[in-house]
Amino acid sequence: MTDEHLDRLVRDADPYRPEIIERLGGADQHLLEEIMSTPKLDSPARPLRRTLVRRLAGAMAAAAAVAGIIATSSLWQTQPDDVYAGPTGLPSAGARVGAISGWELDLKAAQGHPRLLIDEPGWKPDHVYGFAEESGSINFQNGGRGLQMNWYPDEQYQSYYDDRLHVSEPEATTVANRPASVFTYSKNDMAAMLKPQDGTFVELRTQGDWTRATFDEILAHVIKVDAESFLKALPPEIVTPGDVRTEAAKLLADMPAPPGFDVAVLDNAGANDPYQFGAAVAGRVACDWIAEWVRADKAGDKEAVKQAAAALRSSHQWKVLHDMNGQGDYPEVLWELADKVAGGDVPAWYKEGLGC
Amino acid sequence: MSSEDRFRRVYAGNFEALLAYASRRVEQPDDAADVVAETFLVAWRRSADLPPDDEIRLWLYGVARRVLANHHRGGMRRERLGERLRQRLTPAPTRDPGSEVPQRLAVRAALSRLNETDREVLLLTIWEDLQPWEVAEVIGVSPAAVRTRLSRARARLRQLVGHDRDAPGHVLDVLAVPVPEEGR
Repeated sequence: MTDEHLDRLVRDADPYRPEIIERLGGADQHLLEEIMSTPKLDSPARPLRRTLVRRLAGAMAAAAAVAGIIATSSLWQTQPDDVYAGPTGLPSAGARVGAISGWELDLKAAQGHPRLLIDEPGWKPDHVYGFAEESGSINFQNGGRGLQMNWYPDEQYQSYYDDRLHVSEPEATTVANRPASVFTYSKNDMAAMLKPQDGTFVELRTQGDWTRATFDEILAHVIKVDAESFLKALPPEIVTPGDVRTEAAKLLADMPAPPGFDVAVLDNAGANDPYQFGAAVAGRVACDWIAEWVRADKAGDKEAVKQAAAALRSSHQWKVLHDMNGQGDYPEVLWELADKVAGGDVPAWYKEGLGC
Repeated sequence: MSSEDRFRRVYAGNFEALLAYASRRVEQPDDAADVVAETFLVAWRRSADLPPDDEIRLWLYGVARRVLANHHRGGMRRERLGERLRQRLTPAPTRDPGSEVPQRLAVRAALSRLNETDREVLLLTIWEDLQPWEVAEVIGVSPAAVRTRLSRARARLRQLVGHDRDAPGHVLDVLAVPVPEEGR
């Protein structure tokens, strides 16, 4: 066999498939923003936040982790008036989300969650992700200790379990009345994997200052609750599906609506903290105005170009961006792009930059 | 150009190469996300003094190589970035285990039996399409040593593939069905 033949065999055995790039769905750009949101070595260390965020909202994840709680909405209040009637008059929420809305929508979403809580004072869920996904995560924090609960579709249980067997021998235990296995990564780092129930299985993993004794103690306080209790335990600032229309209306109040803009596009935004939700709303509006500018420019519609440019420039006055600006870079990216487009330059990366 | 702007450009220009590099060297496809994330995180933290453009990819490969070594020792960082990328790279659990061509599996199995550095020299040459001097930069040896190792790797692989091609049945050291690895 010649070198050439041999090399060809090796080349053919290349496991990398270039088409994966087409399927990343912006995950590469998301990672870039995540990385750039972390401190450099010459900056003061600050806690990193896990990636429980949506798209470019990750740009400010680290900052949001230390930004504290800002109560902007009440999860357990039914929102009777969730119709957005913005500058252009948009379709009602009811027309899009069917017969349920508000609290009922949240309850329905929560039914799909494992709904585990820690029944001990001091433990507070600080990050939630997954209302719109079949898997998700919630992190509970108490001082220097964090307990992250990740859930996955139950058909993945065995493969995860088999994988954890490489971590350590499993030790049988019971968590929230479910049989579970404890895996030990190190003396301060453990995980408990619960047997599947109701279509999902949950893995709890320590983060921070733990011992096996403190882990066992907390496992005994993990309880399964009903959807209502689960929702009430969420931090109030999380924008859940039932809040989307109301919260979106607030943010959209000072944004010019792009032609044909439909607030329903925000309905699948899932659960977000205020920064992430702000990015979802402001990003959507900016994306649509940029698309409108491009369309109008191509069509030679000078008046529409002018209108789109003015709308984009107005982003400097959008309140939500100023509210977000102390926590991350999304507003800066949006303003930079808006100004460029308004000035006649449409950067090729604008969709990735904004998460359009 | 600010170091932030340059980092964005470096990232955009090298993401796919690094994803490919990592994907080729992990057992679980989604583990590549960790390697890529960690590698670019290192680059970000040093973005003020990255090597010049014409050296950056080789430098990134070198970083990725160390990240991988750490990964294989189970020492990846706990605070992991790239969860979304990880999800995108996670294979469908129902994937048909028979979809891989047996010959490819046999070649990969043979590759896994090479000396680690020899294998890396061979793979950087064939999969990453690097010249010997470039391989030398990545793994930190002389170009002459690269040529020696390349020659040795080919000879050994030729021997192994020759044997394995006649050997029917299950191929060791190759997972036919990728499964998700630990969740962070």
